Amino acid sequence: MSGRVIVVTSGKGGVGKTTASANIGVALANTGASVALVDMDIGLRNLDILMGLENRVVYNLVDVVEERCKLRQALVRDKRLPNLSLLPAAQTRDKTAVNAEQMKTLCQELRNLFEFVIVDSPAGIESGFQNAIAGAQEAVVICTPEMSAVRDADRIIGLLEARKEEIEQYRLVVNRIRPNMVRNADMMSVNDVLDILSVKLLGVVPEDEEIIISTNKGEPVAGTDNTRSGLAFRNIARRLRGEEVPLLDLDVPNGNWLNRIMTFLNPVKV
Amino acid sequence: MQILNWFFRLNDSDSARNTAKDRMQKMLVYDRLELPAGRLEVLEEELLAVVSRYFELDADTTHFDLQQTERKAALIANFRLLRAKC
Repeated sequence: MSGRVIVVTSGKGGVGKTTASANIGVALANTGASVALVDMDIGLRNLDILMGLENRVVYNLVDVVEERCKLRQALVRDKRLPNLSLLPAAQTRDKTAVNAEQMKTLCQELRNLFEFVIVDSPAGIESGFQNAIAGAQEAVVICTPEMSAVRDADRIIGLLEARKEEIEQYRLVVNRIRPNMVRNADMMSVNDVLDILSVKLLGVVPEDEEIIISTNKGEPVAGTDNTRSGLAFRNIARRLRGEEVPLLDLDVPNGNWLNRIMTFLNPVKV
Repeated sequence: MQILNWFFRLNDSDSARNTAKDRMQKMLVYDRLELPAGRLEVLEEELLAVVSRYFELDADTTHFDLQQTERKAALIANFRLLRAKC
């Protein structure tokens, strides 16, 4: 097998990289694909928590690289989704524990075992980021419609562009969009962000309190029905698999009758 | 208040959304070129000085700008010429 290695990255911290990685992994696994989720945020391990697998971590990525265990021993298989495994980050080491060559070798090994290898990158543009993208052929850039996040995403896109030979394609996910704020011209829309960054869009995820609840439960929203963010991530997974899926209509009026009438009279493309 | 916002949305060029978009677009031209603030103004002055050696210029309509398409920047300079100097 020769799987696809996709790095999830953003530059800025706190825009939802890890949440997106977990949900894209779960959504891809739900389509039947075999998936490895790799936590490259060495020293600040969190993907295991979002997946609800924190109690089952024995070995980690650094143990594999330093040959203290076999890759298969370090992979934590998700009992709810047997075709999904997590390779956790080390918590007591730092970003210098792995180098780019080692990461390439590791990704090659993972590609032989899984159809999709989703790498959760750390924030920043330094060695941690450089290592995270080292073995990848594709990138998903996560951005929120805030100026600082867009600026950092632009920097990341510049760095990905400079690595065109390795990173064959990159696409943007606009996360945490608030349709009501866009409608009131208080927040940049998805199209505004796309205009600014000149980049292909992979998906749009609305701001959703369910994300907090799902994180607390250790069950990513993509695996549960009835959440808009979960549906958005499932659509992203389908697009990654090459399906053409229309964007979610986020402009659904909610709240009072006045809002509904205004939305009806004056719909805004978010 | 919301209904007022809605009525005035036709000219919402000073809305937070549009202000953010404008600021981003200007900022990223400089970011991508790694162009320090003030540098462009120096270039403008120097270019003006050179062109002014050959032409009398209509200074009011001279236009100097950085524009961006598909992540590539272009320098747009528009000098309105009145007559050649001999």
